[in-house]
Amino acid sequence: MSLTAVTIATHLILTDLQSIHALAASPTFAQDGLCCAAGAAGLRLSCDGGRSWRDAYASLALTSPLTTTAVAFSPDFVHDRTLFAGVPGGVLRSHDAGATWHVAALSSPPPFVTTLALSPHYVEDGLLFAGAMEDGVFRSWDRGASWAAWNFGLLDLAVYALVISPDFAHDETLYVGVESGVFRSSNGGRTWRETAFPMECGPVLSLAISPNFAADGTIFAGTEAHGLWMSTDRGVTWRAVTGWETPGPINVLILAPTYPRQPSILAVTDAALCLSHDGGASWQVQRSAELTGVTCAVAPSDLQPGAQILLGTNDGCVLLCMV
Amino acid sequence: MTKSLRLPPVFQPITYRAFQAGADRVVNAIRPTLGPLPRIVALQRPLDGRGPELLDSGGVIAKRIIQLPDYRADVGAMFVRDMLWRLQEQEGDGTATAAVLFQATFNEGVRMVSAGLNARLLQGYLEEGIQVIIGELRRQTRPVAGPAALTQVAYTVCRDSELSELLGEIFDIIGDYGRLEIREGAGRTLQREYVEGIYWERGLFSQQMIADWTRVRSELEEAAIVFSDLRVHQPQELLPVLITAVQAGYRRLLLIADELSDSALSLLLANNKPEHMQILAVKTPGYGQEQQADFLKDAAVLCGGRPFLRSAGDRFTSIRPEDFGHARRVWADLRNFGVVGGRGDPRALRSHVASLRKLHAETTDLVLRGKLQERISRLLGGSATLRVGGVNVREIEERKALAERTAAAVRGALQEGVAPGGGAALLACRPALQRCLDAAGEPEQRAAYRILCHALSAPLRTIAANAGREPAGILAELQKAGPQHAFDVLEGCLVATSTGALNDPANVIKAAAYAGLSSAALALTIDVLVHRTEQPSHALPPAPGKRKQL
Repeated sequence: MSLTAVTIATHLILTDLQSIHALAASPTFAQDGLCCAAGAAGLRLSCDGGRSWRDAYASLALTSPLTTTAVAFSPDFVHDRTLFAGVPGGVLRSHDAGATWHVAALSSPPPFVTTLALSPHYVEDGLLFAGAMEDGVFRSWDRGASWAAWNFGLLDLAVYALVISPDFAHDETLYVGVESGVFRSSNGGRTWRETAFPMECGPVLSLAISPNFAADGTIFAGTEAHGLWMSTDRGVTWRAVTGWETPGPINVLILAPTYPRQPSILAVTDAALCLSHDGGASWQVQRSAELTGVTCAVAPSDLQPGAQILLGTNDGCVLLCMV
Repeated sequence: MTKSLRLPPVFQPITYRAFQAGADRVVNAIRPTLGPLPRIVALQRPLDGRGPELLDSGGVIAKRIIQLPDYRADVGAMFVRDMLWRLQEQEGDGTATAAVLFQATFNEGVRMVSAGLNARLLQGYLEEGIQVIIGELRRQTRPVAGPAALTQVAYTVCRDSELSELLGEIFDIIGDYGRLEIREGAGRTLQREYVEGIYWERGLFSQQMIADWTRVRSELEEAAIVFSDLRVHQPQELLPVLITAVQAGYRRLLLIADELSDSALSLLLANNKPEHMQILAVKTPGYGQEQQADFLKDAAVLCGGRPFLRSAGDRFTSIRPEDFGHARRVWADLRNFGVVGGRGDPRALRSHVASLRKLHAETTDLVLRGKLQERISRLLGGSATLRVGGVNVREIEERKALAERTAAAVRGALQEGVAPGGGAALLACRPALQRCLDAAGEPEQRAAYRILCHALSAPLRTIAANAGREPAGILAELQKAGPQHAFDVLEGCLVATSTGALNDPANVIKAAAYAGLSSAALALTIDVLVHRTEQPSHALPPAPGKRKQL
């Protein structure tokens, strides 16, 4: 089925990032319109919902562009004004919404940070994780000041995606999508265990965890060439989502904040936006020239009709879309 | 009569009495150590003239009993000692439980056989009953996870809060197959450290390869690796390696070989120029070709590349760029070398680890099991080191031995789960045995189930008695409360087993039950004791045997 469900707005913003690797929106995006775009030429900040962008590294007075591969806001951004950016060999942190930055180096040789994720209880535990392309998972206990590799049991160090359980304070569970499938940690990232995700169906490029994970144990995994997979038992067993028929790598997976009450899923491939309102049983697919090369996306509010989505492309554009 | 048979053989009815006397001596020495409130056993040390050794471990006590003066009783004592020693080596704990189970089963069995039952038939029915017990224990087993639960399991073994907490934390991190090295520490406390990546106990061929003299080690980033067990005598043999590396643009090279002659080493040192090429050379880990082949297989899966094997007639003349393995980082010092971020195919690595795990689970050979455990733990990519300190050498040695035993038990609990401790799991097997008893027809069969039903309460009775409590009252309380309860002798009250407060490693309970009961069943069939005078073998540990899959 290929129905038009996603309307692409007229806003196609050209940034000077060359290619966009990651997008992130402030937890209070609806009020402040604050979002970040990380790309080959650095990090850009927008205070108007993505309509205009400014250099977030202006205070660093860089002589050459600092490639930025991941970006994340603190869950308590409204108070601590903290955001993190993954750069080659390290993680930058800012405590003043990007005005100034502090550097924390990761171990040598410089890792390529693919993803950053903060504990849902970051305010209390100060815990955050960085996934790296060839070096597995780095863990910081002290709000990003220092980092250490924690890869016990992680037999595949090519990390593409990392998600943390919303109930992390109790279950200490997180998942990584890697070249050969999905690994799970149930002790706060100290040890990793294989899941039954079929190895031959990797790499897993994107993961999305149910906001109601404590009760439903649901997690989705988007692969490069083997479609969409889901588990409803906390990653112990996996099955392919039967309604998924769109070819191509699934770069982004986003679940509605009220999932499964509102069972909406947004999946972004490199050429299409796919939206399901029934937990993945059926999909409405939008393809257009503008959507070619989408690498990242963020849905700052929800996936209800009229909700805004930001998409980043590999030619440095940000697309502002409406569901 | 052969030369070694100087003392007359012992026949029935003395056999049972003599055997029983010897076995009772050992069991009664160990019995006070069972439970969370053990009594101490003081063993005199005649050789060094120092004060007695204070022990609360059944396995250690059993090891210390070398010989009984009465040669007839000695056979029984050594039979039990051998069984306990093996159990200690295999599981790290459970010896006191096995000892009291042995005693209760054997003594009751002797009574039955003396009353006219057939010993061989009785043994057969006892073995049937033991399978029922193992099945029931398996049913009660549940997985264990989290530092708190692991600490509790460790504490049941070592009763050392500091050690338990550290082992709980360590195993929470390294997992069931993770690598833990327990070493003697310099200070007085326990300390742990975690090492990223994998390392082997083989160092650099030459200290001239050390680049960082403050840390006395060298590191290479984005290194190419040549894996081999070749013995290189001529420098010319290494030229293809260096030429191929240069042509392929590999600027940092780790060469692993079994031997390097002085001239071959000189060639490497002459070419070890950081501005052109950094070279490290280490000896192939492992003793003998089999161990080295295992290393090479694991390392090649981990880092990619092709190992060069002496046994296959390989030479470096045929080396190609794709034969090199690669890693994000390698390091080496004079004693060890390690790899971080091997660049092998992750799917091949996962399949390889899965096949080793399967072998580990299936094999009954203890030596092979140990080797497989070590190989798996290395490949999992990280290790922990626990340094055990103390006020003097003896304390350090004793605490290190305790840490090793406890670590084995915690690892077993992680791999095979936990079951209610304090004798509760064994006691909960009685209803199943009772059902078998109700259905039994043969006298030996009925006797076997009765013996086992009685024996299964022995550990609980002993634990209670050692804690200064009345066993009969506790048994009555437990019977009233039902099978989902255990008695906490520390608190003096019943607790629900679902709380997990009194868990023991399931593998230990199962192994102790099997060892104690099955050995007793076997001992009942012994009719003649033949004493040999070549006794020194008693002082040696039993040869590594087979591990029964329970």
